[in-house]
Amino acid sequence: MMAKPGLLEVRDLSVGYGGEPVCAPVSVGVAPGTALGVIGPNGAGKSTVLQTVVGLLPPIAGTVQFDGRPVDEREAAFRRDVATVLDDDAFFPSLTGTEHLLLTARGHGVADADEVVDAEVAEFGLAERAHALPSALSSGQRRRLALAAAFVRPARLLVLDEPERRLDAQMRRRLAARVAAEVAGGLTVVFASHDPEFLSTVARRVLVVDDDACTVVSPKDAVAALHAG
Amino acid sequence: MSTAASVTAELTGTGVRRFTRRATARRADTSWLTLGGDLLSALTTAGVVVAVLGGAFSALRERIAARPPAPATDLPGELTALVAALVVAAAVVALLSRLGPLSATPAAAAWWLPLPADRRGLLRGDLRRVGAVAVVAAVVVALPVVLAAPAAPTLLEVVVTVLAAALLALLAVGVLVLLQARSLTGWVAPAAGSLATVAVVVPAVLGTVGAGGSGWTWVPAAPDLPLPVLAGVPLLLAAGALLAADRVSGRVPAGALRDRGTAVLVASVSALSLDTRELGRALGTPVHPPRRARRWARVHTPWQAVVAGDLAVTTRSPWRWGQLAIGTALPVLAARTDGLGGVPALVAVAVVLGWSLAAVALGEPSRQAHGAPAADRSLPLGARDVVRARALVPLAGLVVVCAVSAGLVGLGWEWAALGAATAPAWAGAAVRGGYRPELDWSGPVLSSPVGAVPVTVVFTLLRGPDLGILGSVPLVIGLLLGVVPPLLLGVALGWSVLLGLVAVETAQRRRS
Repeated sequence: MMAKPGLLEVRDLSVGYGGEPVCAPVSVGVAPGTALGVIGPNGAGKSTVLQTVVGLLPPIAGTVQFDGRPVDEREAAFRRDVATVLDDDAFFPSLTGTEHLLLTARGHGVADADEVVDAEVAEFGLAERAHALPSALSSGQRRRLALAAAFVRPARLLVLDEPERRLDAQMRRRLAARVAAEVAGGLTVVFASHDPEFLSTVARRVLVVDDDACTVVSPKDAVAALHAG
Repeated sequence: MSTAASVTAELTGTGVRRFTRRATARRADTSWLTLGGDLLSALTTAGVVVAVLGGAFSALRERIAARPPAPATDLPGELTALVAALVVAAAVVALLSRLGPLSATPAAAAWWLPLPADRRGLLRGDLRRVGAVAVVAAVVVALPVVLAAPAAPTLLEVVVTVLAAALLALLAVGVLVLLQARSLTGWVAPAAGSLATVAVVVPAVLGTVGAGGSGWTWVPAAPDLPLPVLAGVPLLLAAGALLAADRVSGRVPAGALRDRGTAVLVASVSALSLDTRELGRALGTPVHPPRRARRWARVHTPWQAVVAGDLAVTTRSPWRWGQLAIGTALPVLAARTDGLGGVPALVAVAVVLGWSLAAVALGEPSRQAHGAPAADRSLPLGARDVVRARALVPLAGLVVVCAVSAGLVGLGWEWAALGAATAPAWAGAAVRGGYRPELDWSGPVLSSPVGAVPVTVVFTLLRGPDLGILGSVPLVIGLLLGVVPPLLLGVALGWSVLLGLVAVETAQRRRS
């Protein structure tokens, strides 16, 4: 049986700042409708790998291809297909939570934007705070808002950097289940995480980022590695 | 929602901006009346500033013209005016390249840039804003220069000069955006710094070498061209550059826009809170790590560790050398300029400006230590001893700067000695300025055109240069007398050392 061609193909990718790599080169492919977890200790380079994969940082060496073409975030087609929730915690101070989500939905041309936004507001437990300004939201609520924005728009690839961060245990489980359901529905997901439960619920394979070598392991081995610290 | 979303027309870049603006306007409490009042107030303030500046510079020009020519002042005033304009223009270009010119606030980077909307439309508002800021900066720079020109300018000449400066500023913005779209702005700030250094140092050296001799013969003048050409060419160039900039703005990478936007935000907050130390950090050129880490094999004591660390911080950025060179040459340039050189007060102002710049450059280790006090606390040295050790590198640097600068201003060894005698006060100023406390916003505040400011703002911001200026009083007396009596030299040294000690002993190390 022939291997399914990857929606995302990363080859000999060296990432870092000022020409200095922060981890070993990465080579991995992610097939459509699958999820790749990324683990590694603090400072290992997980976020740098994700930012390079979505074109926010230039690679030092190697290539990243999305749907058979080199990644270029300046192309509207790429931004149309790829949703990201990285470590940003920035909001327009005078736009409410709902308005942020509507901006994203309408920006992507979602036909029934109001209904889609209302549904995600409820899904992420923001119904009572959706009309508040970001300054009136807690850190966890702002994180939920940023995550909800990834689901009010169409996407083929979703990239998440530690999505469990600042979420309570219940919300973590709901988010893991939601992402797993989206993967089952055909969405491709790449995410970095320190949460064994999130990892085992969502990931089919896990990339271990390290100084010496970046390897791909099974979620079971990855969870064992996380428990071992 | 994943792949099977129901999709209609996406918002364009302009549409996204409009959506955000309308949502913001819905809860803004600013009425048209308030905006009109603010605009009127700004225009009135600008008019008053122009009138005051015009009057002051006209009076200064007349006073200079009425004085007899001073010896050894060969550089024409037009040349020094051109140097001043070049230096400020280089600073503005470096600033624009550091802050963008195009940038996205953290919110815009998070919520606008990931949308499929055309980036060109998203950034058009920012391009307009940057263009407007550049025009204002050009007018602010050009107006004093043209008003202070030795030959009294006519109204038409003032208007044409200011207009040309504004158009050149727009041309600079356009070219910088073209470079930014190709990720090629990295060399702009170093090049602008080098240009500013050369522009100040070369005329100062040439003016000194030829002092009293053959003299300088070239006088810069506006090209003798018809007005339509003089105004039309810059207009065409600026329009072409801005159109090209608009076309390529969609190619500026999101990562660069986000990084510059963060720098703009930090700089704006620092400027509004009058935190000049943080402002300097936000606008400073990033220092790249050295290729080879220093091992400091000869460092054996905590004092040596402080000095070695300060030397590394001072020498790691090439721009510090530029600052020291400009700081040394600026008083010399003023002293060699026809008109300026004959007015001791103006030479003294150039001395204070130049040596303040050198003190700021050599105070960088103190500023960094104030921002990150943990490293100092790890040393087996008392807080006062750390600050005393931190004064050694500025003292060594300023002895050289002040001696060379004053020696070339007065053209004599006794002047060099007077300059060196003033160095301890400026070294103390460098350390005192670096360790100065933050503004106290908890106390009483004053209403000002830029909002509320603490009543102690002047004392806090001048903390550091204040003692340097006081230490320069004997030098100013020497400039007024035209000679350096031995007694003045002794008084200058004692006074400067006393002020330097006061500065170092009263510098406050942060507790946390």
